[in-house]
Amino acid sequence: MLSILIWLPVLAGLAIACLPEAIMTPTRSRQVAMAIALVILGWTGYLLTQFDVQSAGLQFQESFDWIAPLGLSYRLGMDGLSLPLIAINSLLVYIALYCSDVNLIRPRLYYSLMMLLAAGVAGAFLAQNLLLFFLFYEVELIPLYLMIAIWGGSRRGYAATKFLIYTAISGALILAAFFGLALLSGSFSFDYEQLQNLELPMTTQLILLVTIVVGFGIKVPIVPLHTWLPDAHVQAPTPTSVLLAGVLLKLGTYGLLRFGLQLLPDAWRVIAPALAILAVVNVLYGSFVAIAQTDMKKMVAYSSVGHMGYVMLAAAAATPLSIAATIAQMISHGLISALLFLLVGVVYSKTGTRNVDVLQGLLNPERGLPLIGSLMIVSVMASAGIPGMIGFIAEFLVYRSSFPIFPVATLLCMLGTALTAVYFLNLINRSFFGRLPETFANLPAIYWKDRIPALIVVALVIAFGLQPGWIIRWSEPTSLALGTLGDRSTTTAFVEANPLTLPLSAPALVD
Amino acid sequence: MTTLTPSTPVPTALSAIAERLENGGALLPDSPENLVEVVGVLKSYAVVLDAYSINLNYIAEHQFLVLFPFFKYMNGDVTAGKLMRHWLHQRINYEFAEYCMKAMFWHGGGGLDAYLDTEEFRTRATAAIQAKLKGNLMMRGINQLFPQFLLEQIRQLSFYSGLGQFWRVMSDMFMVLSDRYDAGDITSIADVVDHIKQGLVDNAAMPITYAVTIEGDRYEIIPATAGLTFLMDTAVPYVEAVFLRSFPFFGTVSYNAQAQQIPPEQADFSYGVLFADPLPTGGAGIPPTLLMQDLTHYLPDYLRAVYAGGLRGNGDLRVKINQSFQKSMFCVTTSAILGLMPHPLTTSQPQEQQANREFIDSWLARLEPSALLRVQTPQS
Repeated sequence: MLSILIWLPVLAGLAIACLPEAIMTPTRSRQVAMAIALVILGWTGYLLTQFDVQSAGLQFQESFDWIAPLGLSYRLGMDGLSLPLIAINSLLVYIALYCSDVNLIRPRLYYSLMMLLAAGVAGAFLAQNLLLFFLFYEVELIPLYLMIAIWGGSRRGYAATKFLIYTAISGALILAAFFGLALLSGSFSFDYEQLQNLELPMTTQLILLVTIVVGFGIKVPIVPLHTWLPDAHVQAPTPTSVLLAGVLLKLGTYGLLRFGLQLLPDAWRVIAPALAILAVVNVLYGSFVAIAQTDMKKMVAYSSVGHMGYVMLAAAAATPLSIAATIAQMISHGLISALLFLLVGVVYSKTGTRNVDVLQGLLNPERGLPLIGSLMIVSVMASAGIPGMIGFIAEFLVYRSSFPIFPVATLLCMLGTALTAVYFLNLINRSFFGRLPETFANLPAIYWKDRIPALIVVALVIAFGLQPGWIIRWSEPTSLALGTLGDRSTTTAFVEANPLTLPLSAPALVD
Repeated sequence: MTTLTPSTPVPTALSAIAERLENGGALLPDSPENLVEVVGVLKSYAVVLDAYSINLNYIAEHQFLVLFPFFKYMNGDVTAGKLMRHWLHQRINYEFAEYCMKAMFWHGGGGLDAYLDTEEFRTRATAAIQAKLKGNLMMRGINQLFPQFLLEQIRQLSFYSGLGQFWRVMSDMFMVLSDRYDAGDITSIADVVDHIKQGLVDNAAMPITYAVTIEGDRYEIIPATAGLTFLMDTAVPYVEAVFLRSFPFFGTVSYNAQAQQIPPEQADFSYGVLFADPLPTGGAGIPPTLLMQDLTHYLPDYLRAVYAGGLRGNGDLRVKINQSFQKSMFCVTTSAILGLMPHPLTTSQPQEQQANREFIDSWLARLEPSALLRVQTPQS
């Protein structure tokens, strides 16, 4: 069942790339890619209906030996951690395809790379063999690099190379850690299940975990390993930015949870305070730098850096509720950042600039971008954690679950919410309010196809904000399992004292 | 080497406009595009003005001293279907007409405003009030306590009537203009200006009167003997109040009079239609979007096609109508300026030519901050 999520887009990508142009015209390649993405989205919906929300273990497992001497087996599985991320990947891939420019150059390459990217990300989220995960993790690097390098902005070469170098180092570190784990397992196995209960000295665990944290930290990104991200976002075309912010950054936090916390829980709890400090740095640094930006996309990119800090904070706390918060924040950030990039993309495509010093009055009812502006205000509110939207739910969960473990770090992170309001309201005020200047008084027409992707995401942002149980319920048992791993001495007191965390049943959120 | 400094300012865009006016041109440059826009929008305006005029006269005559006129926009035809269409906003924005009336009422000027302060008006209005309040003890008591209240209401109703009569003439004038354009008689902006000027001159002496019927008896509030006429007592005050001055209100910007954000004198206001921002966001003046919305319904096909060919198609229809409407109002203003010139344009007397030039210059100086310079070049 799960292989469909990987191999269907791979086959489609191959068909788009290899079939003769007479058969696979640019238009048809787009149609095929979108049709496959729709099938994948539908299949994900089907998996949601079949998923047992009461089970913490892996479901829909598929397994066969691939290259046994290397310890590489084709093993897939899905749990409450990977399911929401698979769902958001399927959704955002379809949206990214939908909002891709119909007149772009080299369309067949573009759509085949898009399919490969979708497959790579899905594979990484589903892989239950460390080497298999690494393969998929590296596979998604290629299309992303090419998308920035070919369809990016004026400094695309620089941004793509920087992205490649950073991500390659990330991959190397992750591979090194995986090899370490496999070697120390005694059986040189990369099988995830076998590596779960390793008895390793704490020093060894710490070395492995720090390697993993740095490796995945580049992807998250954790400050100061973040510098590739703003460049990549600014130069990447809108659909790539949507996927990059919405899904690909989540590979970093997913990796931290899956291979850091879940494989090395004791070491995780040792370095958790440091992770919390890094989270604070991410939040405050990202927010303050965002305030200083004049490029909308860079502002959203630094906002991403800040908001991924919330994910880090909750992950560091590692209680059942905080793991649920981590997943919720990943979904929240995935949707909201994708929405923001979609909207910034429309503004850029219609005005030719993203500079908030130049833009003004875009809410003008007839000559501006009124609906896009309204959606931007909604997305900004969601990002700033205004109640009624998913941003509030996720951030509230993060704060509620992290505060008992890291009170100071949590309070400092809360500043980030206020700072989010500062830089995004600044963006809104400068770009959308006031009189539309003559230079923008004759913007091209806005069509519904420009608005529909953002409208869909806004609907989800509000729906999940009003009914958070729709995102929490999938990962409840998994969160419970992840949050109770290892030495719980640091969290036991809190967990026992607080019925919200064990079992994870916040009625107002889940019901 | 000596450099000579000119004693007069270097000719500007304004002096070019002045010369154009002296040579029989208009404030708006003559071009086929401008002609299509002006005539087309005035055709739609004629239909809308017809509706405004009917409603203003209906309110003046049939909603006389009705203090809570819930159905004043229904023109006496209150049906469930019409109410539903009204609430669904499938209607004419009669509020726009009332804003214009209030602008005239507030700024005053002309014989109508002067007449409403005379003893004759007070006597006639009082008689109508007495007739209206007969048998209404509560209102009679209120009238005793606040004797100016109902009088002021009747002054306002007089402006309803005055503007209704003015727009009746203008509506017909613009409709004939459109017919003449369709017949090929109107081929330039100058022809448009001439048509309007001739219409103003033809109707200049038309009497402005106002009477109401109460319990079968007719009460003349403004009799013909008051000597009020179309041009000087409604048209000129209308141009002053609506085209030029208007209000510093109704926008989303909050003006602070104490901070000198609005001129201390009403006469110095410049929030009228000629100054309106075609991209309204917080500007002052009568909200142009109400009229533009009404005009969207009656645009001739040829103008609709022109608008549809723009970059945003029909997405910015109201902005385009606003731009065209402003152009057309510069034509009306040209007619008014030419009609009020101290001497004929064809005069060969230098003193008269100088007086004419000074008259034109004074107008242009007033219009300089308006959209005048913007309409000199094609707008996008």
